[in-house]
Amino acid sequence: MLTTIASGRVFDYSHCLGMYSTSGVGFLVPMDFALGSNDTLYVLNRGVDEITLRISKCTLNHEFIADIGRFGMGDGQFVWPMGIALDSDENIYVTDENTNKVTVMDKDGQFLAKWGEAGSGEGQMRGPSGIAIDGENNLYIVDSQNHRVQKFTKDGQHLASLGSEGSGPGRFNKPWGLCLDAEGNVYVADWKNDRVQKLGSDGRFLTEFKGTDDGVGSLSRPTDVAVDSDGDVYVANWGSHQVQIYEPDGKFLATLVGDAQTPSPWVQDYIDANPDVAKARRRTDMEVEWRFNRPISVRVDADDRLYVAEAVRHRIQVYSKERDYAEAAINL
Amino acid sequence: MPNQADIALMAHLMRRAGFGASRAELEERCAKGYEATVEELLNPGADSGIDEDELYRYFPQFESSLAPVAAQTEWVYRMVNTKWPLKEKIALFWHQLFATGNSKVDNPPEMLAQVGMFREEGLTNFPNLLVRLAQNPAMIYWLDNNGNHYGSINENWGRELLELFSMGVGHYSEDDIKEASRAFTGWTIGAKPPRQPVGRFYWSFEFRPEDHDYGEKEFLGQTGNFDGSDIIDIIVKQEDTARFLSRHLYNFFVADEPQVPAWDITPPNDQAAIDTLVKAYMDSNADIKSILRVLFNSDFFKNARYQHVKSPAELVISTARMAGNYNQPRTGFPLLAFECGWQGQELMNPPSVESWHTGSEWIDGGALVRRVNFAAKLLSDTSLPGVKAIMAGLRERGTLSPAEFVRACLDLVGPVEVDDGTFQELLTQAQQGGDITWDTEEGAAESEKRAGVMLALIAATREFQFA
Repeated sequence: MLTTIASGRVFDYSHCLGMYSTSGVGFLVPMDFALGSNDTLYVLNRGVDEITLRISKCTLNHEFIADIGRFGMGDGQFVWPMGIALDSDENIYVTDENTNKVTVMDKDGQFLAKWGEAGSGEGQMRGPSGIAIDGENNLYIVDSQNHRVQKFTKDGQHLASLGSEGSGPGRFNKPWGLCLDAEGNVYVADWKNDRVQKLGSDGRFLTEFKGTDDGVGSLSRPTDVAVDSDGDVYVANWGSHQVQIYEPDGKFLATLVGDAQTPSPWVQDYIDANPDVAKARRRTDMEVEWRFNRPISVRVDADDRLYVAEAVRHRIQVYSKERDYAEAAINL
Repeated sequence: MPNQADIALMAHLMRRAGFGASRAELEERCAKGYEATVEELLNPGADSGIDEDELYRYFPQFESSLAPVAAQTEWVYRMVNTKWPLKEKIALFWHQLFATGNSKVDNPPEMLAQVGMFREEGLTNFPNLLVRLAQNPAMIYWLDNNGNHYGSINENWGRELLELFSMGVGHYSEDDIKEASRAFTGWTIGAKPPRQPVGRFYWSFEFRPEDHDYGEKEFLGQTGNFDGSDIIDIIVKQEDTARFLSRHLYNFFVADEPQVPAWDITPPNDQAAIDTLVKAYMDSNADIKSILRVLFNSDFFKNARYQHVKSPAELVISTARMAGNYNQPRTGFPLLAFECGWQGQELMNPPSVESWHTGSEWIDGGALVRRVNFAAKLLSDTSLPGVKAIMAGLRERGTLSPAEFVRACLDLVGPVEVDDGTFQELLTQAQQGGDITWDTEEGAAESEKRAGVMLALIAATREFQFA
């Protein structure tokens, strides 16, 4: 359904962005993305086997701007890029799960710096993945194979470590993505523990999001998390191809399954240019195309719009949170 | 400690029923016993040892890509890292027998799904496999059964089912092909969204009753209103089918046979062995596991050492397993997939429905150089875990004369059994450095270096090309 109504909230499917493409207009195996100023969108594409890896810089209005970066070990290059975030100057920070490094570029893709050391000591990383930047330009990076989150200055100086390996409160099992709320609390997709944990900025466990014991609102290998201005929490439930939504205290609210019934403008251009594709789309049930396939990254913008990137569908679905929704009569 | 003969026999079993095994694994399996190991291989557990979530975390392109190499690489990863090697080996067997090519199918995820079906169903029974094959979307498209209609048959699937997949040339008539094709009308693929521009979608098998010929058919001397499953039931009861499949199993698991197109005019190299397998087939109602149990426990199998040229996939996967540096997610797996192709076996893309020619036809000048270079490069790299384990095994044997050194290296890499000429060649090289010693740091470093060279030379021997 295009409109999901749950406990005083309405989540309405809006539109989608992107399409499959090996370069230029489109994405290829998006792992993460970041929302910049002036409706700019940076999509981190893993690509395929050492080719087609790049950051797609485009706009939320479907304008392609540039491809940034490529596969490699050199400056401004990546091997297994996992997470992307922007600082207050819109410099781009990218984590690389293979090289254990963070690469910094300016918003045009000019290489600025690279840092990070492999290991499990303080400040060292094994498999850095999710990344988020607070209002003071400090970096929170999921140090996945060390089962923790580390806080760094934007120059890579270690400030703090949060959590350790395990399944209890404040412990992690190969966590993946993370986000921060306005109060500086840290939400971590605790991937192999099938939950999201909310920690204070000092690492203190606050609450967890995982549904009820009988499976309602449960999580299966969650990869990313976002929180809106009301404190509602959105989780990319990668293992079950859903987005789960929770109230701030952890109570389960709703499930989104993907609603891309209207092609993105890029997709529509492709269909219009390929009559056989248009024909093929008319001869079959297209519902499978609407649904999420490996939702991997979620973001919420200043207007509480939800963006969901799908690794297997090479696109981003956008939902709005309606504030003045009036329900239609039930007997229509 | 198991005796040398047991180790050598276990190594033979693991080369054929899997992709080789390290010395430690061979010793562990010898402790369990040969027949117990055969049973373990034939009865794999559900857990492959590969964490599926981690697989797709580190290789998201396996699920997302439209590129053939992504599908090939996923299969390579599974072959290298499975803890149930016969599941992958039997998938490779069926892939080589039921050769389906991405060159036409143009849908790598569907090719991967077909291989997955071979992996999961490959040790069940032949009729089940043939029905699943007949309903496999990649095969339906590959052999045009989606164009096989009531009143307008396309014989491609019906012909290859009989000629290449079950009975072999000369055991059926042209009319049998036509009648079989009629029985498979309406077995087709459901429509799906097109591949672009948001990635792939899977096909599904669809039976269309309105397009199926429900009329009476006469097939291999029997008459009835047969459908595709009935045709397969008749086929699998034929002794000719048992002979054809037995010869394929012998060629893949036991010893190289003449090329398949010559089978109707060239008798098997070991008629008694084929007869034994045929009996196992008939006794078990074509149960693959039962036939393989007889095969692996037979003397003709145990005595067929080094009588099978490794296919490129066997050579690449077994060497990577031995080197031990591909045992977790990392970059470089696509190169292993490419390497199979460069050596002449592009996985999921055989040259035609007749599949690859095997045995000595795997080898030509270019392929041989690639095979040797690939294996020598990995085995001479003493930094790799598997090579380090071989070095540790050498070290345990203490000071070695050149002849003892050559024998020890051959033993730890296989054991590889070489003829006198090869042994002398290796010995001549070993004698240039005198005894192998480990007493001093310099001596040990030199010995390790020489062992790396010796392993590279062994990888270049004629015998290493055989399983």
